[in-house]
Amino acid sequence: MSLLGAIRSNWRVGLLVVLVALSTAFLFAPGFGSSASADNPTNLQYGLELDGGTEVRAPLVGVTAEGVAFDNATRGEVSNAVAAELDDVAQRDVITRFQSQDGGTVEATAASVSQDRLGTAVEAAGYEYDAVRNGVTEQTRSRTIQVLQSKINEGGLSGGSVRVIDLPGQRPFVSVQVPGGDRREVLDLVNSRGEVRIVAYEPVEENGTRTYRNTTLFTGDEIRRVGDAIESEDGQPPRVPLRIEGGPAEGIRQSFVDTGVAERGGTRCTYPETEDSCLLVVRDGQVINSFGMQPGLGQSMVNGEWSESPTPAITLSLTNYEEAQQVSIDLQAGALPAALNVDEGTSRTTAPAQGADFKRDSLIAGLLAVLAVSGTVFVRYGEAEVALPMIVTAMAEVYALLGIAALTQYPVDLSVIGGFIAVIGTGVDDLIIIANEVMDEGEVNSRRVFQSRFRKAFWVIGAAAATTVIAMSPLAVLSLGDLQGFAIFTIIGVFIGVFVTRPAYGDILRGLLTDQ
Amino acid sequence: MARLEVPEIDYDRYSNRQLAAVPLAVLAVALLIVVGAWVTAGTPVPLGTDFSGGTEFRVAVGGDSPQEAIQTAFPVEPSSIREIPSQGVFVVTFGSGLESPSTAEEAIQCNELEGVDCLSEEQAAAAQQVTYRSSAVISSAFGENLQTTALAGVGVAFLAMALLVFGLFRTFVPSIAVVVSAFSDIVVPLALMRVFGIELSLGTVAALLMLIGYSVDSDILLNNHVLRRSGDFYESTYRAMRTGVTMTLTSLSAMIVLTAVATVFGIDLLASIGIILVFGLSIDLLNTYMLNLSLLRWYKFEGVAR
Repeated sequence: MSLLGAIRSNWRVGLLVVLVALSTAFLFAPGFGSSASADNPTNLQYGLELDGGTEVRAPLVGVTAEGVAFDNATRGEVSNAVAAELDDVAQRDVITRFQSQDGGTVEATAASVSQDRLGTAVEAAGYEYDAVRNGVTEQTRSRTIQVLQSKINEGGLSGGSVRVIDLPGQRPFVSVQVPGGDRREVLDLVNSRGEVRIVAYEPVEENGTRTYRNTTLFTGDEIRRVGDAIESEDGQPPRVPLRIEGGPAEGIRQSFVDTGVAERGGTRCTYPETEDSCLLVVRDGQVINSFGMQPGLGQSMVNGEWSESPTPAITLSLTNYEEAQQVSIDLQAGALPAALNVDEGTSRTTAPAQGADFKRDSLIAGLLAVLAVSGTVFVRYGEAEVALPMIVTAMAEVYALLGIAALTQYPVDLSVIGGFIAVIGTGVDDLIIIANEVMDEGEVNSRRVFQSRFRKAFWVIGAAAATTVIAMSPLAVLSLGDLQGFAIFTIIGVFIGVFVTRPAYGDILRGLLTDQ
Repeated sequence: MARLEVPEIDYDRYSNRQLAAVPLAVLAVALLIVVGAWVTAGTPVPLGTDFSGGTEFRVAVGGDSPQEAIQTAFPVEPSSIREIPSQGVFVVTFGSGLESPSTAEEAIQCNELEGVDCLSEEQAAAAQQVTYRSSAVISSAFGENLQTTALAGVGVAFLAMALLVFGLFRTFVPSIAVVVSAFSDIVVPLALMRVFGIELSLGTVAALLMLIGYSVDSDILLNNHVLRRSGDFYESTYRAMRTGVTMTLTSLSAMIVLTAVATVFGIDLLASIGIILVFGLSIDLLNTYMLNLSLLRWYKFEGVAR
């Protein structure tokens, strides 16, 4: 037979060789994926279980009134009115959104608000609504995810990701994954709303007694640009420089002057018992620093120059650098519209040392399982020329799966490794079917006999593959915990098996049995 | 070299009733255990942390009395401590009663973490011996959601498989034979889980789904040989058995090894996948070559003739 003929009749083996070569490229060639390094020679990306890190998975705090008729009120008016009916809830925790011409949703994202309470409050505020349900709107959810993502990026938790997990018939969950992050870091990130307000703290004399009045001067909404935190130097405290939006600048300047924070000679703050007015930096309702204003800035505020500048600037002082960084991040990312309800979710943390153990041990477990399969196959057939190609073919299947994992940068976790092992199991099963069906019915002396038997064997293989795919597909879509990887790779493995490796094994076996 | 030979069984000697009786009796006992547990304990199988909620820590412990060190280092009494054989690592479980998992997590790291004070000198010394490896906190609400999802997943997968089998064979008796033996392949491992106290985890659910796919392979093979190939019933059966038993034994050997290794190393997910498949594949031999076979023989010799 000519070389060309040999290639043509063995093209299925060729396809397998190409697949293996491609997988090698995906796994080892630089350029596919970025994670190849000294301690990870491949392009495989590992999940949190194998590399260490934290995942928090939880629904968002909040209840939503749907189909609220706004009666021509603005969003702010509706929020105000509803918040006023909910005693302990700040206005920022009530979010009103138009979903139609004159109606929409009212969400309360404070943990203390139940469905009943929100319903009563919306009604008491004078608006009609259709229904109240648990959970927040899609818009609030995607905004929350955006904010979380930018907090992760800016907070130096590199490689972290945020996504929504939809479970049929249930509230969607938000999953935050941070490689290398420990539980406290990640919980701090998702638990704190990160709402920063700059507040004037003004002493007021009333009937001879001194009280203090808080007035919000501005929040993140009025800031155009937030600078990075600056470390303390030359006796200056750590700082965060801010640039204020041009539009609201004049109003802000006015309240600085009215509250007595801005004075010609500057102000000296001795919070909480203070003679002069103070500037407070308030994060999630807690005062994290207080300071007075320098004479220069006070001067330019009082005579109005400050807001005439194209970019009115103000600098916040903080007590330490970490706090300065946190405030800078919170202002840049914006406040989280709704926090994660960690009490109804899960969190998992794996220390890098445990991950390294899992990586090594699961590799050993997988290899030993392969050895067991090989041993059984050798004992059963007693002929290396039947058994060896079987094992090599099954291994090629797993190798191709590894290549796919590297190409797609799918994070390899224990469940994915479980999938690889399952694939070896189903793969070898099918190769046994082929070998037995072809050899059991007596001598294979022609190509035609081989083809006819192979086709019969393939009916069984196809049927078996279909049942495996069907049994696994709920897992692949349901996102049942961490088992998605297991299901996805088992299914991909079955497809590679049916379309590439099993036909290739048929060609190899035919070559062995018919010398063609 | 040792050869593995599939023995030829003299099926002639047993009636269909006799053949079917054994696997049906096993199935009945299994159903009794599962349903009984459902009624008395509320769940057919014991629920693991994944489904019941709770907190699970993994810690590496040095020193002579690791159990004591663990108990002193954690601020709250753990509900169970399990040792992983290979590497001095312990799995410490708390029920869903542990109020602040983060506090417990920080307490055992109080010597290393800034801003965390050890509870006492004694506790500090114990915490020194305990190295934090991993933790999982699952709220009971989340666990309950997961139960519903898992149950729905297994149900849908089983129904879809049954429909597919009926579609493949298009005759009632052979199809129902496959479905019944697949049902038994799932129920018997569930009963064994109850008997051996193996908890339902994400891994065992994955294995149960895997079983739905795996266990019907040998049934499909048998049906295919008997119904779609020419030749004598017993000859076809024997051929199908030679292939099917080899398949099952190969998978079984892989799963036994996987279970053993994963248990020694404490890779719970892989260990629970392994053990359930060992149960399921073993019972599948019984179901395929006694239950399915007797139904097929009845169909072939009596059912078709009717």
